[in-house]
Amino acid sequence: MSSVQDLGRFGVAQYGIPYSGAMDRYALAQVNFILGNPKGAAALEMAHTGPELVFERDTRIVFAGAEADIYLNDRPLKYGHVTEILEDDHLVVKKIRKGQWLYMGIQGGFESESVFGSKSWYKGISPRDRVVKGDSICYLSEEERFYPPVETNAKIRSDWFRPNQINVYPGPEWHKLSTLLHNRILKKAFTISELINRMAYQLDEEIANELDPILTAPVYPGTIQLTPSGKLIILMRDGQVTGGYPRILQVDNISLNVLSQKRTGEKIKFSLLGEM
Amino acid sequence: MEISYFRTHSKLFEIIWPKEISQSILKEQLMVKAYLEKEYADGIKEIRMGFNTLSMRLVIDISDKDCFELVEEIKSSQLTDFGYQTKTWEIPVCYDEIFGKDLNNLSKIHKIAVEDIIHIHYSKPYTLHFYGFLPGFMYLGGLDERLFSPRKEKPERLIPAGTVAIGGQQTGIYPSDSPGGWHAIGKSPIKLFDIRLDPPCPANIGDKIRFFPINKEEFYQIQKKVLGGQYRLKHD
Repeated sequence: MSSVQDLGRFGVAQYGIPYSGAMDRYALAQVNFILGNPKGAAALEMAHTGPELVFERDTRIVFAGAEADIYLNDRPLKYGHVTEILEDDHLVVKKIRKGQWLYMGIQGGFESESVFGSKSWYKGISPRDRVVKGDSICYLSEEERFYPPVETNAKIRSDWFRPNQINVYPGPEWHKLSTLLHNRILKKAFTISELINRMAYQLDEEIANELDPILTAPVYPGTIQLTPSGKLIILMRDGQVTGGYPRILQVDNISLNVLSQKRTGEKIKFSLLGEM
Repeated sequence: MEISYFRTHSKLFEIIWPKEISQSILKEQLMVKAYLEKEYADGIKEIRMGFNTLSMRLVIDISDKDCFELVEEIKSSQLTDFGYQTKTWEIPVCYDEIFGKDLNNLSKIHKIAVEDIIHIHYSKPYTLHFYGFLPGFMYLGGLDERLFSPRKEKPERLIPAGTVAIGGQQTGIYPSDSPGGWHAIGKSPIKLFDIRLDPPCPANIGDKIRFFPINKEEFYQIQKKVLGGQYRLKHD
């Protein structure tokens, strides 16, 4: 699944609209920095198998985030290098080998319709929510080819999302759990389940749930909910803005990017930040 | 005011009221929100509400001591209504069984006749506490206890936009097509969430929602007007 994403949509959560935005904001920042784009320029976010793209105008692109086999006119493209694109160039993103989300930044950013201050795609808010065959996605192209200088020395690596340690803060309902459960949650390795998408990542392991449901309360990307069955659900960028399950932990912003790149079957461990 | 707080980290904390759904708590939440927006606008990025919480994302960093002092300050301040006027919105609902697919089932569960369930549902106004779950989904307080209904064990794959439903201690209208575990009792022809409008939802937090019953013919007439942009939602 591919969609256009920027930093997200803020100030309208009060109407129930999620933030959306890039799952891995660090990778989005990388592509924009290297191209000399504004920090929040929109990029194409891809998961699983990316699309085949034909460029209609000259531009420059760069990839970051997950590692994938990418071919430009049948020739393999190097990870993290700025690539000059000419009209009619043909790009294929094959299997993503490492990580979950791949970002293609483009000179000046993608030009999808801005809704409530963001170009991020989300069902029911933006005109489109995913790229389908035959779609065209606009980007800025200029008659005179003048580009800001690129960070030619930038080295993009994907090993920054290898650590399995996810930093978390205690959530509002953490203190209602027993010390026994605190220890179990912090010592246990959790497995990323098959249920992962832009809204939430569910973890496989079950822990005993001692808590009653709460009255529906605000939740954020990175909020970890303890469900009645004892499974943990980590809300991601498209997550709903309120929830009725106890909010036991809150993932740190940097760790949320690392977490987003974890795949089904990978293990994570929580590390508690801040005072207890 | 009976409030406490929880600080998640230096840029996120919430003020907590006792665990109940009540209009007096809602009124206090709105007063605190107005106070914070007036006094601390520069430091606050976003304020969001739940039934008994008011959560804040901050631009600045705050310590636990800052949170404690802020809560003390709120408690000792003479908060006023800020002259906030609430409206009552009149929302048409067709309770015909072609839309209210779970009416018969609810009638069996509660041993209340279908027409009585419908009457109980529209006879009292509801209060909008906040939006959540889906864009434009209103969390309404005030459902009659007799209609409290446990959610379905297996959620429906698709509940169509406009469906009026009951789940747990709440009732609501699905603003968009969605899976869901609530019991469908009717459908409203009006659009409660329109992305082309700013704000996209007509009702403000604290406003009242009153449902009034319409028949199938009226439903389709209003639906036509809504599609043509000629229907104006009524409020007092």
